[in-house]
Amino acid sequence: MGNLELIIEKHTERIQHGLEVLSTLKHGLPEGLGNKRWTGELILATYEQALTGDVPVNGLEYKTGNSGGGFDVLGWKSHTGVAKVDQDQVDLSIPLNKKREGAKIEIPLPIYGGGMSFGSISLNFMIARARAARKLGTYTSTGEGGYPEQIEPYRNHVITQVATGMFGVREETIQYAPIVEFKYAQGAKPGLGGHLLADKVTSEVAKMRESSMFTSLYSPFPFHSVYSVEDHKKHVDWIKTVNPRALVSVKVSTPTDVDMVAIGSYYAGANIIHIDGGYGGTGAAPEIAKKNIAMPVEYAIPKVHDYLVSEGVRDEIILMASGGIRTADDVAKAIALGADGCVVATAEAVAVGCTHCGNCERGRGCQVGITTTDPELSQFIDPEWGEKRIVNLFNAWSKRLRIILASFGLESIRDLRGRKDLLVRFK
Amino acid sequence: MYPIPNRFDVRARKIRLAAMLMHEAFEYRFEKEVVLSRPCIYGVFSGHFGGFKPLKHKCVGCMRCVQEYPHIMTVKPSEAYKKLGDSFWTPEMVYTIWNEASTGKIPVKGMGYKGAFGGEGFDGIWTDMSEIVRPTRDGVYGRESISTSVDVGRKPTSIDLDNVIETPRTMEIPLPIIFDELPNGTDNDDVQTAVALAAGKVGTLDVARETRLGRPGPENLLPLIDEEGIEDYEEKQPSILEFDAEKPSVLRKLLTRFDRSIIIGRLLFREDSGRVASELARQGVHGLHLYADYHGRDYSRDPRHISTALRDVHQQLVRDGLRDQVTIIASGGITLAEHVPKAIICGADLVGIDTTILVALQAEFLGETRNRANCGLRPRRINPEWGAQRLVNLMGVWHDQLIEILGAMGMRDVRRLRGDIGRSMLDSELREQSFKGIAWAT
Repeated sequence: MGNLELIIEKHTERIQHGLEVLSTLKHGLPEGLGNKRWTGELILATYEQALTGDVPVNGLEYKTGNSGGGFDVLGWKSHTGVAKVDQDQVDLSIPLNKKREGAKIEIPLPIYGGGMSFGSISLNFMIARARAARKLGTYTSTGEGGYPEQIEPYRNHVITQVATGMFGVREETIQYAPIVEFKYAQGAKPGLGGHLLADKVTSEVAKMRESSMFTSLYSPFPFHSVYSVEDHKKHVDWIKTVNPRALVSVKVSTPTDVDMVAIGSYYAGANIIHIDGGYGGTGAAPEIAKKNIAMPVEYAIPKVHDYLVSEGVRDEIILMASGGIRTADDVAKAIALGADGCVVATAEAVAVGCTHCGNCERGRGCQVGITTTDPELSQFIDPEWGEKRIVNLFNAWSKRLRIILASFGLESIRDLRGRKDLLVRFK
Repeated sequence: MYPIPNRFDVRARKIRLAAMLMHEAFEYRFEKEVVLSRPCIYGVFSGHFGGFKPLKHKCVGCMRCVQEYPHIMTVKPSEAYKKLGDSFWTPEMVYTIWNEASTGKIPVKGMGYKGAFGGEGFDGIWTDMSEIVRPTRDGVYGRESISTSVDVGRKPTSIDLDNVIETPRTMEIPLPIIFDELPNGTDNDDVQTAVALAAGKVGTLDVARETRLGRPGPENLLPLIDEEGIEDYEEKQPSILEFDAEKPSVLRKLLTRFDRSIIIGRLLFREDSGRVASELARQGVHGLHLYADYHGRDYSRDPRHISTALRDVHQQLVRDGLRDQVTIIASGGITLAEHVPKAIICGADLVGIDTTILVALQAEFLGETRNRANCGLRPRRINPEWGAQRLVNLMGVWHDQLIEILGAMGMRDVRRLRGDIGRSMLDSELREQSFKGIAWAT
């Protein structure tokens, strides 16, 4: 073994070991870890769940962050006196197609993986996510950076994303896909298009995206072929012509008229409307956009749900929510507010060692091999190890979801949808 | 540039570090390259003494060293960093302004937003976006043209073809930001010169008292004149001037004696600002410069945030049919790029910045900065050229961020944003709408 291999092995072992030790709090809570949304405790609780596959029992806060609003000021109503059900009997599955036509797809938990592109994340992490999706029976999304051949073995669990840059979109990758996702906008940078800084555009990334090496890539905004619902319908028809089996998801951000956008997507023939709130994750985005543009998903979900109900189409389209879903409790609250399920990405990154430090965009990228294209750093994520941790995380979340549902006497996650009456607000 | 505090304090327990090195030396058979390969890609341990003397200025808080060696390493925000600012200026805000002034680049970072959910004042406002709109965007610097120019002055409400048309008294500036008067006691010669030079380069205005005559960039000076100073300016006939509108009798005199100038009345934001603004507009003032304290609170008995006070004034002028006749400049508490579009949404035509100028020039925080008469910022000695460049950088990056916000909304012209509260979302309103039916916890 050469020195480079030894160095990578050394640091990989140290990082993996550190993730196991930190959540024991043996060395205390690292003061520099975390922020208001992802608190240090929440990060460590995620490490713990990714290690054990269980709900943390060591006192770490695993339900909410400390942002002072949204999910963090919502809790669960007292459920004393409610007839409980057996947690093992609780059904967490949701359908992803409620239309009469098209493939009938169900996922065994109300979660699938959000788009993180090749280029913004390492190939090894991408493979780990795909493997985890296969193991869990759910899906992960390619993001907008193309479809590396290394994830083709998992293609029955990979959503092909078609975004405004059309990077790496090919006929065969649409034909592979059980679900094709149009990304109109992203919560972290609504109205601005994708953003991959030059440092991360290596030869492999440039080849996949058919661009030049070490040149910053900006996806256009909006789709230059879509300026109306009718144009949007043409897009949906285009996908359904190339792959009639594919379900179509439409990922949008959360403007004031997000309800209108949702109904437009429904009439264009989408199976899934995916709303990505303003506090969503990204590999790189202007800070001003993350904080200030578009509403948080907590406010968008009821707005869309209620409008779809009032239009009489709620049971014909699936509403998925993303943009700041950090915990199982966030998933349950999003569903109680009106979503069918959630799309999760950052939590998967935290499961494999992300500290939410926010240095993904620069230079060599992520120090632990998640959001990087550096050939050495990428090796810190062993796909098998990553798969295990992501699977464990979602197993832990599933257990927590079952606890919540069972406590309210609900036998299915589908019965939680729109049950705002089960929530309480904290000042 | 003055040294800035390290953001993070990185420390190693030295005995444990030495023991770890010994252990790894044996584990890796004294293979120096492996033993000394360090858990940091930013070079914190790349000095001669490695972890024994970390290069703290290089730390970005990624925590990898803590992840790898939790029994040895600690990383936490440094005490010097935590002490930056005051009760309004957070360390993050100070750092943001420093970085913007140094680089002129839009802050771009990975991962999602890390701060508090919504909040008060400007933090409780989100701007709108559109899924399918023009102007298109092909990269930050590659999009269809979006205008950030604004007009300052009074426009005729109609054209009277039977009479001699008076030339409208307006002035166009390329971005909706001016440099407001600096806090008392902070405008030393170097700072004044830097501000004047920057105003000239950017093409904006620089509010200053008459002592500023003769300094660089007089064409960009917006002199603040009091009654006694009128005669000094009469000969010069500046194209634009400000007066203290708390003394409304001055207005008639100014309108007569400066018949080609744009005359801006400067007044405090307070409960009755809307009424006073309407009255001044009726009397013929061309613009109003309303200001809050440096923390963005107005001078009402129960101080409100400038965003609320501004909406009141704007709406009063709209109700009175006077809004299009006067320009509103708002200042006080405009400290981040995002505050510019939000203030415009609340009804301003343009904004003035004040303490932000000093922060960009790396002034020292000595206490609270709220009070105009006793602001706790002390400017350092600076090279005026250096200072001017920092302000130019700051305005450049604020301009670019304004473009991002406008582009996301599908707007081609910042003038269209004025008072368009419908293109914003308020935390307080959305919370009540979306959480309706959810009981309060008892």
